[in-house]
Amino acid sequence: MDFNRTPFDVIVCGAGHAGAEAALAAARMGASTLLLTGNIDTIAQMSCNPAIGGQAKGQMVREIDALGGEMAINTDVTGIQFRLLNESKGPAVQSPRAQCDKKAYQFRLKHTLELQPHLQIFQATVTGLIFSGGAVIGCETNLDLKVYGRTVIVTTGTFLRGLMHIGQNKNEGGRLGDFSSKTLSASFLDIGIELNRLKTGTPPRLLGRSLDFSKMREQKGDASPTLFAFHDTRDSEDLFHVEHTGEQRLGWAPGTRQISCWMTHTTDQTAAIVRSNLSKSAMYSGEISGVGPRYCPSIEDKFVRFADKPRHLLFLEPEGLSTNEYYVNGLSTSLPFDVQVDMVHSVPGLENCVLLRPAYAVEYDFAPPTQLYPSLESKKAENLFFAGQINGTSGYEEAAAQGLLAGVNAVQKGRGEPPLIIARHEAYMGVLVDDLVTKGTTEPYRMFTSRAEHRLLFNHASAEIRLRDHAARHGLISRSRLMRVDDKIQRINHWLAHLESHRDHGVLLGDQVRRGGEPPAFPEAFLKESIEVRQQVLYRVNYKGYIDREERQIERLGHIEKVRIPTGLDFMAVRGLRRESALKLAAFRPYTLGQASRISGINPTDISLLQILIEAGRGGAAADEGAGPN
Amino acid sequence: MARPADTIAALATPAGTSALAVVRVSGPDTARLAAAVGGATPLPRAVRRGRYRDRAGAAVDEVLFTFFAGPRSYTGEDALEISSHGSPFIAQRILADLFARGCRPAEPGEFTQRAFLNGRMDLSQAEAVMDVISARGDRALAAAQQLLAGALGRHLGPLTDALLAALARIEAYIDFPDEDLPPEDRGLVRAAIRALQADTQRLLATRRYGELLRDGVKTVIIGEPNVGKSSLLNRLVGHERALVSAEPGTTRDFIEERIIVGPHCLRLIDTAGLNAAPQALEQQGIAKTRERLAEADLRLLVLEAARPTLPRTLAWPDDFSPANTLVVLNKADLAPAAKPPPALADFPFVAVSALTGAGLPALTAAISDQADRLRPADEAEGIFINARHADALSRAAAGLADAQRQLEDGGPVELLASDLRGALAAFGEIAGRIDNERMLDRLFAEFCIGK
Repeated sequence: MDFNRTPFDVIVCGAGHAGAEAALAAARMGASTLLLTGNIDTIAQMSCNPAIGGQAKGQMVREIDALGGEMAINTDVTGIQFRLLNESKGPAVQSPRAQCDKKAYQFRLKHTLELQPHLQIFQATVTGLIFSGGAVIGCETNLDLKVYGRTVIVTTGTFLRGLMHIGQNKNEGGRLGDFSSKTLSASFLDIGIELNRLKTGTPPRLLGRSLDFSKMREQKGDASPTLFAFHDTRDSEDLFHVEHTGEQRLGWAPGTRQISCWMTHTTDQTAAIVRSNLSKSAMYSGEISGVGPRYCPSIEDKFVRFADKPRHLLFLEPEGLSTNEYYVNGLSTSLPFDVQVDMVHSVPGLENCVLLRPAYAVEYDFAPPTQLYPSLESKKAENLFFAGQINGTSGYEEAAAQGLLAGVNAVQKGRGEPPLIIARHEAYMGVLVDDLVTKGTTEPYRMFTSRAEHRLLFNHASAEIRLRDHAARHGLISRSRLMRVDDKIQRINHWLAHLESHRDHGVLLGDQVRRGGEPPAFPEAFLKESIEVRQQVLYRVNYKGYIDREERQIERLGHIEKVRIPTGLDFMAVRGLRRESALKLAAFRPYTLGQASRISGINPTDISLLQILIEAGRGGAAADEGAGPN
Repeated sequence: MARPADTIAALATPAGTSALAVVRVSGPDTARLAAAVGGATPLPRAVRRGRYRDRAGAAVDEVLFTFFAGPRSYTGEDALEISSHGSPFIAQRILADLFARGCRPAEPGEFTQRAFLNGRMDLSQAEAVMDVISARGDRALAAAQQLLAGALGRHLGPLTDALLAALARIEAYIDFPDEDLPPEDRGLVRAAIRALQADTQRLLATRRYGELLRDGVKTVIIGEPNVGKSSLLNRLVGHERALVSAEPGTTRDFIEERIIVGPHCLRLIDTAGLNAAPQALEQQGIAKTRERLAEADLRLLVLEAARPTLPRTLAWPDDFSPANTLVVLNKADLAPAAKPPPALADFPFVAVSALTGAGLPALTAAISDQADRLRPADEAEGIFINARHADALSRAAAGLADAQRQLEDGGPVELLASDLRGALAAFGEIAGRIDNERMLDRLFAEFCIGK
């Protein structure tokens, strides 16, 4: 039976953090969009820790906001603790982080999706894809309904052949209590998409009233919270939509309901319990084939790999205001349940605690993302886009960023317009996609600030300025907000020029700022500017030397970003190319010379050689935007 | 991929009189030219004896033609080698004829460039080949061969590792602020940067010696008029080259000759004499002498053995030191027991007679010793870097210096990291891109991350 007669412009499979942003982005661009989810009650669920942001991720959430995404505002109005990380380390690497009320986060996002014009939500599990002539045209569902669309975005998270492990116990599913998508993998394999296995884990959840917080250290939120959304340029009705719809969406004034997290640590006894039970761990008994993340090791890994470290820090994070459930950050494990109980009870403050949910490891299929164009469209099947964990990433923020881009690019594809591709020097989102499609990943990929070579430009508060042109070109933010962004940019530029051209007591104001110490005598009008404007100006003045250097580098390397490597170029047959370089290039199949230059071990000689070859052979094949066939 | 190219020709052997001269031709028109000048269609890889006939049909010389059909040639194109008798006149006539027939004079290094463009070698090999070709002396050849073998890349390995380790120590605290990391130890980073700076400088220091090896040791012969500088040069070169005259001040232009002394190549430069009462023209010559002197790697200060006094016009004694100067007491046949004046007591000296040749072996040995002293004390496996490496290493050194300054000033850690990352990228330009993944490997190996 067919679900629809007219094909949707965009079908989004999966309603996690990637799927939700994808569906919203597509619908907000006016495309008829269908969001399919196996369970409407788990839309935008935080399957692991109840927090958004943190290092690099926090900046990325602000970038999502700059492109009209929902994650930032949704976090702000359901946040229950806000902290600015790295406050002492300089503006470029400062990152906002928030604990969220898990259910409020979910329900508000679900409500937002429900109210979104051009968007339809439907509960059905996608069991297969329908292809025609190498292109996807729709999906099959468990309800025997066939759904047709011009483009399909797949966001399967950990559900694709998801298998959970607790010691020797195994359950099929992508998350405890949820299903596993077992037949969809075959669809991908049929069309020639390669799949691989990854693994991730989650700690136990504890009952709050069984915890002794007096034995733990309190971690409070910041007195003045740093928020994710750009409230200074945002339309007021954006926040609660009350004027338009009269609806009362869940949420509260950002920062008004902050509660604390608690810190404790493992003990010698914990270590002994873990060590004596290692053979029962699913990970250590060879039950798991998937590769886990190095930055989020299980407690088994921590005690084995860092045997000389006597104790490990644990954070108890509240899961919400209307629940007594706590998440134990730092205690991810695949040990059997009885060992988990002993282990938890060996921790100060948790001696008598009650476990609400066990910790577990989960293995799932992902499609190595080197099979994608930079638009996130599959190289193997036209009109098929991938976003989130299926691309080998980890994290709500990484998923949401890809979801938004896939949503925009699916619409662009359907309209025959060029895709939205963010350059590496523009945003973490650009680094994310470029890393994925250029180099792929062997562990669940998480964003770090160190991945961005132009990190100094990625101050979180500058996201709106950096991404202004993309947002404007694709109509991702409202006209009135765009005007306010432009006004802000103009003010910042005005004051930058002013401080670098005006003197006080013979010394350039800019130099006085850079010298540090007492702030110079700023003009009255500057002090009347908003804090957002003043901060951007001072950051740029302070870092002028470094920012100028970065910009020169970007300009110097800019041209190779635009040189397309002809598809099907046989690197092994390029005479003169070092064999090891040719092998790497053949494996990664870079799309532009810029991508090629970022592959490990490739040197400027290799790039010069390719460039000479391409320019000689093709008379200078200038790139289209480098995004695959349109 | 071969792009349409013109046909180039050049003398492949050094200019000057020699037993043989080889003119090399490469490009699409080579086969036709070979038939035209040699009177027969050439066979690939066969040597044929014949007469070279110019456009007027006149036989220029009896020569050997060797034809290489592309791509099995050095350049990857059709190529022809013409071995003629070694008179500069014959080679010039052949070249003139080839140019008249439509060849273009090859740019320096253009044959190797074509080999690179046609995929006959990679760029680093091409660079090394250029070094081998232009290697003057055994040391230069050994250094070029080291580079060919990738010694520089191997040498950079430990530096890169040390830099990655230092960077990981910084990045861990930036990217994992909420983790339970040990207290940050900037002392370790400071020590690492200092060691890296020293290593980078050591590599950079090989550049000057590398240039000496490739280009020759610039040796200026200096002294008062008529002490026999030109005679000395001629004696060293082994044949009459400079114009010698008994009148003071005949040498106004600089005479330059290359000679091999021990393992070194010397560029011997004769200068205008230091005249006590210079005429206008001489004045000019002296100004140029001073310029030459400033650029010199080695100075041969020639004094008359019978009257070994400091040149009166030598108003810039600071330019001379025992390390860069060798005192030559010439005309020693007239004053066998001569010694340098007391002011030059510390300077090495040799007594010679340019006229009789006496003392010449001792002079060349002393020159060779002095040239050896130019070699950096602490050379790295005989690696001598080229200009491209030096450029990248200078940028690495600048990044390290900036990082050092940020550390001393207690600047923001993100700027410190930026400087170190700049240095890492510069290393990568030589040894191949260093992926951030390698820094993360270090970071995760060293720190227990994962709350």
